[in-house]
Amino acid sequence: MNNLASSRKRWGLFWLLVLITVIVNLPIILMVMNSFQTTEQLVNRTTILPHDLTVANYRYLNERTNFWTFLWNSFTVSGVSTITSAAVAALAGYALSRFRGRLITGYSRALFVVQMFPIILALIPLFILFRTLGLINSPLSVIILYTVVHLPFATWMARAFFDTIPRELEDAALVDGCSRFGAFVRIVLPLSGPGLAAIGIFSFLFSYNEFFVANVFLRDQESMTLPVGITMFMQQYSTDWGSLMAAATVTVIPTFILFLGIQKWITYGAVSGGVKG
Amino acid sequence: MSVRPMLADETMTWRASAREWLRSGNSLPFWLLAPSIFLMLAVIAYPMLTGFYYGFTSGSLLKTGKFVGFDNYARLLQSADFLHALWFSLVFAVFNVIGCYVLGLGLALLMNQDVPFRGFFRVALLLPWIVPSIVSIVSWRWMMADQHALFNQIIGVFGGSPIYFLSDENWAIAAVIAIKIWRSFPFMMLSLLAALQGIDRSLYEAAALDGASRWNQFRYVTLPQLRNISIVLCLLMTIWTVNDFDTPWLLTQGGPANATENLVLLAYRYTFGRNDVGLGSAVSFVTLAILMVLVVILLRRQRER
Repeated sequence: MNNLASSRKRWGLFWLLVLITVIVNLPIILMVMNSFQTTEQLVNRTTILPHDLTVANYRYLNERTNFWTFLWNSFTVSGVSTITSAAVAALAGYALSRFRGRLITGYSRALFVVQMFPIILALIPLFILFRTLGLINSPLSVIILYTVVHLPFATWMARAFFDTIPRELEDAALVDGCSRFGAFVRIVLPLSGPGLAAIGIFSFLFSYNEFFVANVFLRDQESMTLPVGITMFMQQYSTDWGSLMAAATVTVIPTFILFLGIQKWITYGAVSGGVKG
Repeated sequence: MSVRPMLADETMTWRASAREWLRSGNSLPFWLLAPSIFLMLAVIAYPMLTGFYYGFTSGSLLKTGKFVGFDNYARLLQSADFLHALWFSLVFAVFNVIGCYVLGLGLALLMNQDVPFRGFFRVALLLPWIVPSIVSIVSWRWMMADQHALFNQIIGVFGGSPIYFLSDENWAIAAVIAIKIWRSFPFMMLSLLAALQGIDRSLYEAAALDGASRWNQFRYVTLPQLRNISIVLCLLMTIWTVNDFDTPWLLTQGGPANATENLVLLAYRYTFGRNDVGLGSAVSFVTLAILMVLVVILLRRQRER
């Protein structure tokens, strides 16, 4: 009897959560459905559910817009900044995990504080500097900024992963005549492969999704990343909701795939990076 | 020489400890940190100092201007745009934090129950948080764009007259806040869920033995246990909201009539729209000053834990 009641309650909660999940994700669900509708259908439609599906928007995206350039730019910028920041963060994270001292604590705290700064603060002077260096509209400007902006978060995650690797392993390597750095490279790094992969995916996601910095530095269509490129669609083809929805849908696909890869690390990352400091 | 790393005394100054490392031949931690420190100095510290100086000049993006002292700051205090941006930043942050916390805690409590496929919901409810800002805002804009848009069709079904969400000042403010809550509650939910799962079960058993009702268990066990993490999360969320550019910019570009312009948008508009680097820098330093108060409180709370 009791069992039946508790099972009914469990499934009641289940259906409640299904409803909440659908409502919360409605903007995303609608976007995907809308991408298979012409703009005309979108504007004049009187029902929520789409009818007469069409891939016209995707064909338009492919043939008439710079979509693939934007996507390619996004991948290069995110890829390069991910590799750089993961490498720098791994070194620093190892130092924070294994050594103590004023420099270490001070730097760790500085990283935490810097993460809270408004980005615009560095953007204005860097824009002037990059302009004289000819780096506006160059992927390099954005790569440099992404590398640094994600560094604090990546460093803490790296530190948290290194903390889980027992020190005894390095001590054994040291006894066998390995240098400390050698022990790090040969023993600790290979063991933290999954951790570094998670950090890499996090950084990649941040860069791939980022809009503000890219919007400031990438001003011509040849250099734009996807988030900025899509805003061009909004202005140029202001009423063309169809191709806008299609562009947004394709943009979100890599995000979904990467997100599924790190979803089990997300609590870990969010809590270790954002909250613990 | 010992194989263990030098354990520098916490009371040593950082300079002394840096010198100690270099001298003892154990300079490894310094070299490990070097690339990171270099990047931080070059890309954050140096521009910040320059920016601080720009705040006292009348420069443009093309030409650095001359020193004008506190002129920019004085102009800000008399500017209606600035006072409005300050006010909107505050409203934006307060409503977003309240909304995120209520929604996040409610859903975290729900998901902390014994629900089938809990893992699936945890992932599915995170989506608003991980979708690129442009993607979600394209969809939200479509839903509230004009009088024929989805929201107005729904309002029409119930016999209401259309609402111009993006061109009415108050509705635009409400829309920006609502979308920001939608975009950021998952982080709150996830962190609170983790905290809920960390609460010792025996506290609830003891409370239940003493005959505490579900509500009293929540009131006297759950809430006090969540107190610290909640304060930290709300501070973080406030800081992130004050720093948010994407939501107001992509939804309304700060409009209508600058109604949804926060300090970051204002700094952006002064610098890149009006080409006034001095004023833009001044606004961004006011933003920093406000944030530093919050960051200091945050650091203090974290040291206590």
